[in-house]
Amino acid sequence: MKLWKKVIMGSASLVAITLLAACGSGSSSSDSSTKSSTATKISGDVTLWVDTAQVPSYKKLVASFEKKYPDVNVKLTQSPNGSSNAKTDVGKDPAKAADVFQVPNDQLGQMAEAGYINPLSPDAEKEVKADNIDMAATAMTWKDKMYGYPWAQQANILYYNKSKLSADDVKSWDSLTAKGVIGLDFTVPYNVYPVFLTAGTKLYGDDGETLDGSTVASDEGVAAMKWFAQQKANKGVMQTSNALNQLKAGKVGAIIDGPWDATNIKNLLGDNFAVTTLPTLTINGEQKQMQAFIGVMAFAVNSHTATKNQKAAQTLAAWVTNKAGQTELYKSQGQIPVNKEALDASDVKADPVAVAVDKQSAVSTLMPKMPQMATVWNDAAALTNGAYTGSIKAADYMTQLQKFQDAISKK
Amino acid sequence: MKSYHERQRVSLISRYVLLIFLALVWLFPIVWIVLASFSYNDTGFISTIWPEQFTIQNYVGILTNSQFPFLYWIRNTLVVSLVSMVLSTFVTISVAYSLSRLRFKFRKPFLQIALVLGMFPGFMSMIALYYILKSFNMLNLAGLTMVYIGGAGLGFYIAKGFFDTIPIAIDEAAVMDGATKWQSFIHVGLPLSRPMIVYTALTTFMAPWVDFIFSGIILSSSGNPKDYTIAYGLYNMLHSAKGASTTYFAQFIAGCVIIAIPITIIFVIMQKFYVNGITQGADKG
Amino acid sequence: MFKRKNKRKPAATYREVFTKGDWATKLSFVVMGASQLKHKQWAKGLAFLLIEVGFFVWLIHTGISELSLFTSLGPIKAKKVVFDNAQGIYITKLPSNSVVILLFGVLALIILAALIGLYIFNLRSTRNLYVADRDHETIETNKQELKSLFDTRLHATLMTIPIILIVAFTVLPTMYMISMAFTNYNREHAIAFSWTGFQAFGQVLSGDLAGTFFPVLGWTLLWAVMATATTFFFGVLLAMLIESKGIRFKGFWRTLFIIVYAVPQFVSLLLMAQFLDLQGPLNNLLLSWGWIDHAINFIGASANPWVARATVIVVNMWIGIPVSMLVSTAIIQNLPQDQIEAARMDGAGPLQVFRHITFPQILFVMAPSLIQQFIGNINNFNVIYLLTGGYPMNNNYNGAGDTDLLVTWLYNLTFGQLQRYNASAVLGILIFIISAVFSLLAYRRTNAFKEG
Repeated sequence: MKLWKKVIMGSASLVAITLLAACGSGSSSSDSSTKSSTATKISGDVTLWVDTAQVPSYKKLVASFEKKYPDVNVKLTQSPNGSSNAKTDVGKDPAKAADVFQVPNDQLGQMAEAGYINPLSPDAEKEVKADNIDMAATAMTWKDKMYGYPWAQQANILYYNKSKLSADDVKSWDSLTAKGVIGLDFTVPYNVYPVFLTAGTKLYGDDGETLDGSTVASDEGVAAMKWFAQQKANKGVMQTSNALNQLKAGKVGAIIDGPWDATNIKNLLGDNFAVTTLPTLTINGEQKQMQAFIGVMAFAVNSHTATKNQKAAQTLAAWVTNKAGQTELYKSQGQIPVNKEALDASDVKADPVAVAVDKQSAVSTLMPKMPQMATVWNDAAALTNGAYTGSIKAADYMTQLQKFQDAISKK
Repeated sequence: MKSYHERQRVSLISRYVLLIFLALVWLFPIVWIVLASFSYNDTGFISTIWPEQFTIQNYVGILTNSQFPFLYWIRNTLVVSLVSMVLSTFVTISVAYSLSRLRFKFRKPFLQIALVLGMFPGFMSMIALYYILKSFNMLNLAGLTMVYIGGAGLGFYIAKGFFDTIPIAIDEAAVMDGATKWQSFIHVGLPLSRPMIVYTALTTFMAPWVDFIFSGIILSSSGNPKDYTIAYGLYNMLHSAKGASTTYFAQFIAGCVIIAIPITIIFVIMQKFYVNGITQGADKG
Repeated sequence: MFKRKNKRKPAATYREVFTKGDWATKLSFVVMGASQLKHKQWAKGLAFLLIEVGFFVWLIHTGISELSLFTSLGPIKAKKVVFDNAQGIYITKLPSNSVVILLFGVLALIILAALIGLYIFNLRSTRNLYVADRDHETIETNKQELKSLFDTRLHATLMTIPIILIVAFTVLPTMYMISMAFTNYNREHAIAFSWTGFQAFGQVLSGDLAGTFFPVLGWTLLWAVMATATTFFFGVLLAMLIESKGIRFKGFWRTLFIIVYAVPQFVSLLLMAQFLDLQGPLNNLLLSWGWIDHAINFIGASANPWVARATVIVVNMWIGIPVSMLVSTAIIQNLPQDQIEAARMDGAGPLQVFRHITFPQILFVMAPSLIQQFIGNINNFNVIYLLTGGYPMNNNYNGAGDTDLLVTWLYNLTFGQLQRYNASAVLGILIFIISAVFSLLAYRRTNAFKEG
């Protein structure tokens, strides 16, 4: 018991020190933290949901928060089915869900429309915009209001085995698949839908918020379908739902995966571990940089939270996503920050995974926040898989794409 | 022409060969699962029959994992299943006995309603069950136990079939001796139905160990993994976060094998009662 | 029981009871239990009275508002975001929570129905008392009444708690589900929704889900027939093999097979899915033996639909045959031997005996449980959900795959991306209708529907 207490106290003071350091060095961030410290009257009871594996990290952050706001009582637990299922977990019974919870940005629109979450106050909005990269702020915005506090970015990147492929090989899909094998699951839209974006189609317009702005039923869309069909015959492409296992066994030399698997893959490949941005694809005879979906993880505040606890909930959400919070999550969980200063830290700059994600983000598309994204996820898999396996014939590409576009553009 | 005995022998040997072959086919995947639980795995997928590397770390891991308190799950499930076993058996046997041995006006409508209710798929009712339990502040193990007991009133078919086979003359003799119906239930009906009680008890005991859906709906919002039951806890291990299915896969299999052992033993004991219950119910049909 | 029947007098009409009865009898029409209390049936009278008082307290306290909300499922249909100046934050004024309103509305209806039933029971009991008074019969004392609960009315004692449980945990949820089918409860109306009549039925039967519903229904029925028939037929054969003359350690052999069924399905099926994967152990083994040139995609997302469907049926045999083997073992042991002996004497071979005697007899005995198995297979969630997850994908379906059954599709519609709760409630009702029709037909044919 004593030891346990010591650990908690120790880590709390460690966080406090990092915080002090952050306040001392930063200009804009010191500004904001003094502002929040003036509001000392904040009190209430707040519950917080985070992913199971992250509970220890957030324990530290909550401890520092409670030290700063002694009148706020935070109850930290793991979320039922993980942050990627926030929509259904919260939707099951919003009144029973946590006051503050993690959610990926593509679910924000639907949750905001349904009335599950509260917008940020104008002050908080300003802080988020000032402290984080622009892309993160955009990812939080739905219909002119911000609905979440961003804290991490995710994008698919290319992991490869150095002993099988060289850095030059993996620059383009064609040379990669000529020299080695890439493992990919054509049934996971998160992984393969971006090929449509790479081909030049739009998903919900340029801003990702225009309902009739999708242009997937077009020549570019057909070109992407053709690309999928070509991969079936490509000896260097393996359709697999267990890419990690194939990578370990050496049957594939490269896989496309998100940063959340980086630690697992490092363990698998050991010294042969290498990571970079996605390769270029040949679509319609042109070399195009393959895109990924950018996901920005956020903390949102439940609209069912009692009014007296709202302020405390908003403050907590801001606290766990500030520079110190994002840094802690990067250090302990490898979550790549969106806070400008946290991104500038030397260890982030030296981390190949973080660099690859950051670079890939720059050339990728932010996941739209439309409530209709549910339909996209649901219908796109059959589309890409159908093109890949050939169950959709080339002659039917346009009709199938049109059907898909109609379905996702429905109000 | 071969002798009769020789033909018999050939037939017996070929039947043994067939039986051994079938048994191997049936047990092969099970053996593979057990082997997998002893194999080192960090990819969340097993692509080989024989493990590349043996380890008992999976078992050590699942028993000492701080995020997934396996031993708490076993304790919770044990409590839930014991309470549910006692009360559900009581409910099921009461209903079955009443419907089989007693005659009352509501009997036939009840049988028909029960048949109808049994045909609705249970999933949609889960949302309702959730809110019912929530309004009693029972989104916990006690509430889950209530759900298991709540279903017991409709699971009377096999037990009723069993009671139907006991000759009515036994009851009549007891009544002739001046026994009330209660006395004949307690002193005649129950002792005769001991195999049925054992069967019902064992089935209800097993249910909480394998149900991952109801337990998930009811227990997940507590957010405290120490409150989970074993089936939901294990299921949740693979689904709690991106990448978790890779990290915890090997421990998941080890945990599954640990709980499969007692269930298998119970089931093997139970098969005798199971057969008796079914056939005696069916005989009456 | 006979005693009570004999005692019953030709019933007086309620008009007679009311006009000619004394003040307590008259009062019973308004205040339940009055007549019973006057006749010193304290327990019954007090129970009636207290229940009525409780009912009116509930009705005034919450009942009326619950029932009136039920008609509209809540007045506020849209949320409103407002700025709270005092705290400097946004607050959401939430819409009415229709899920809860609907649930408690259904509950209120059930309470209402229960009270009406009880009121009729009260009237009947009052009439009995009136008739007994009129004809100068002896009236059961309080003590006798209570005693009868353990004798002539034992069924009331034994059934009360189970019925309350069934109402709370089965009837109420089922009625709730049925009413949900007549609303627009879906992703767009996740908190507040309204009554929309048969709109959701239209979506499933002729709207955007119809293209999925009918093919999935077809596969569900085919699956249920195949799964029931294969496990039954091969289960009988396996039982006969084990039971055949000369095989020793029968119990041991049975145990070997039953182990498969005993392992929890979320373990055995989840791992079976890996076992059969495109890069799984089975394919690797077959490849290394040289039996196949290319890995077979048994149940993957891009597998051939019929390969996947056949695989699902085979895996279901793996799980289902041991059970059906156990059941038929017991029947085989109890089969009358004389017929078989007679047929043997007449020179019938083992195959003929099986076809014309053993198998028909087993079929006859098993028929009712086969129908139950068939219904169970229509709703067999585990095998599909854990093994294939509905895969292979089908781009003509909405929210379902080639091996999805109606029940797993229903689950996807509720808990998956689409969140179309009303449509899945419609599916639930349709599954019920299908099951009911089939079991009715089957029970009629097997003539086993004697008592339900």
